[in-house]
Amino acid sequence: MTVLADPVATRLPAQPSPVAHRAVVPTGLALLGLAGLVVLLLRPTAPVTVTAALAVLGCVAELARRLRGQLAAAEELEAQRLDLVSRGQSTAEELEVATRMMRARAQTMTSVIDAVTEQSIIGTDPDGLIRVWNPGAERMLGLPRADVVRTRSITDFHAPEELDPDEPEGSVTDRDAARFAALVQAAREQGSDVRDWTYLTADGRRLTVSVAITPRTDDDGEQAGWNFVGTDMTEARAAERLKDQFVSLISHELRTPLSSILGYLELVMDDEEQPLTDEQRQYLTTVERNAHRLLRLVGDLLFTAQVDAGRLILQPEDVDLAGIVRAAEETARVTAAARGVAVIVEVPDAGLVVRGDALRLGQACDNLVSNAVKFTPGGGQVTLRLRQAWQHADGAVTDEATADATAVALLSVSDTGVGIPSGEQGQLFTSFFRASTARRNAVPGVGLGLTITKAITTAHGGMLDVESAEGRGTTFTLTLPLDGVPDS
Amino acid sequence: MAAPARVLVADDEEDIRLLVTLAVRKAGCTVVAAVADGAQALAAARAERPDLVVLDVSMPEATGLEVCAALRADPDTAGCQVLLLSAGASPDDVARGLAAGADAYLPKPFTVAGLIDQVRRLVVAGSPA
Repeated sequence: MTVLADPVATRLPAQPSPVAHRAVVPTGLALLGLAGLVVLLLRPTAPVTVTAALAVLGCVAELARRLRGQLAAAEELEAQRLDLVSRGQSTAEELEVATRMMRARAQTMTSVIDAVTEQSIIGTDPDGLIRVWNPGAERMLGLPRADVVRTRSITDFHAPEELDPDEPEGSVTDRDAARFAALVQAAREQGSDVRDWTYLTADGRRLTVSVAITPRTDDDGEQAGWNFVGTDMTEARAAERLKDQFVSLISHELRTPLSSILGYLELVMDDEEQPLTDEQRQYLTTVERNAHRLLRLVGDLLFTAQVDAGRLILQPEDVDLAGIVRAAEETARVTAAARGVAVIVEVPDAGLVVRGDALRLGQACDNLVSNAVKFTPGGGQVTLRLRQAWQHADGAVTDEATADATAVALLSVSDTGVGIPSGEQGQLFTSFFRASTARRNAVPGVGLGLTITKAITTAHGGMLDVESAEGRGTTFTLTLPLDGVPDS
Repeated sequence: MAAPARVLVADDEEDIRLLVTLAVRKAGCTVVAAVADGAQALAAARAERPDLVVLDVSMPEATGLEVCAALRADPDTAGCQVLLLSAGASPDDVARGLAAGADAYLPKPFTVAGLIDQVRRLVVAGSPA
């Protein structure tokens, strides 16, 4: 263990010691006392003797008083010295503790950075010169720390065409500076930036890396450089491309035969020269209905893939939600009537307009109404309600308009159906999830409708909530801001 | 009475090719050729100079988009009407088709009635005033 010297004590100015004080007795008084003593010894009976004795006693008393005063002063000085020494020791100890904490913090940071082996963590100075290079960077890019720190620029590991597509003129130094400026431009403007870049490894491979770029500041808040945290996405992106190709293939391979089925059905069913019997028409209507069901499934799969890939594109316009609700009721009317389910519509006569994608909002509403009808036994009821309300800063929705509130449309679809067990409600919006009540009651479906409805709602800046009690029914509520989606 | 419009049909799926042919005839037009790939479609278009070409987008040899662009680039065929059929139904798919020079784009599956309407509309649009 390191024993520190007492720096404060050694720095203190020299103080006169009490012993030294005691030695400095005023010589005048001492001489006077000595003279009196001589008189007493030589002439003990003389009349002057009394006077001499008194002088001696006075001197002694005065000497004693002064000595006491000096002793007290000396003791006070000693106390001050001890206090200063003590404070010095405390300061030294605090300094040592702070130093230890700093060392421990640095060690923790280093160990954390070194423990990251699946992500590259690269730190640079403000000009891009590499200062930090963790084991993840070593593994990803194939060079040890010693070969890059303080000698290489981060732009050396980026595909140059991504940084200077226009091949700027000028010296190598200028080009490096321009490339680095291009690399950090978005992070400089927005505070941080995450996107895919192509890294070049030491053995010539090209990796697709999702890189988070953030500025690094020193203790004074000045920019000290940049951090680049990279995750190798090469395989993930390749898998996404494969999935896209698969979805595209499925789309083509399913839609094309469905085109044949539906097209030839239409030719047969609409042939005025050879009309069908009622029985034939009934059979072919069943074929047609199921072909459309397959078609919807293909559409739902494609739509889900688009959402997963972040490619849900909305085409915003002014949409009257009351019209959407009425259309959903119309679509479900035949099925509901066949099941003996009453569908009630309560919408404002004047309509309620939101900014959104009419096709997608219709799809969301259709999904909710279709689900409600499917899950409601005969004799039950489905109610579609639409009204305007206000959403406040804390998320609460009320009928009261305040300065901080946003106008929203509330579209609820309530049924008196089988309900959803409370333990399953959290998974309702997960792709392909089917509630146990759906399986138990053999309600058809694949579990994509609510996922799609939720995705559409979220894309419109809205919320989709569910309240349900098993055996009593379910209410889904769509909350959509009236100004919904901005124009693209 | 004007002669029926002359239509070229190109689709690699035999069933769809026949279905489109039937729909075109129901629209009152004559099918001058029904072919199964892009190269045949281009050759038939240059030979027959049809009023309307109904092209599937996804075909071997040359896609419907490539055939469409080639027809537009050739002064002999640049004036014919082009209707693209495709399983791709996204706004991007439609935009790509129209950018290639198509006059109309019909996603699969289409209804026969819808196809007949499109064929009639394009034939009228392409006929001399």
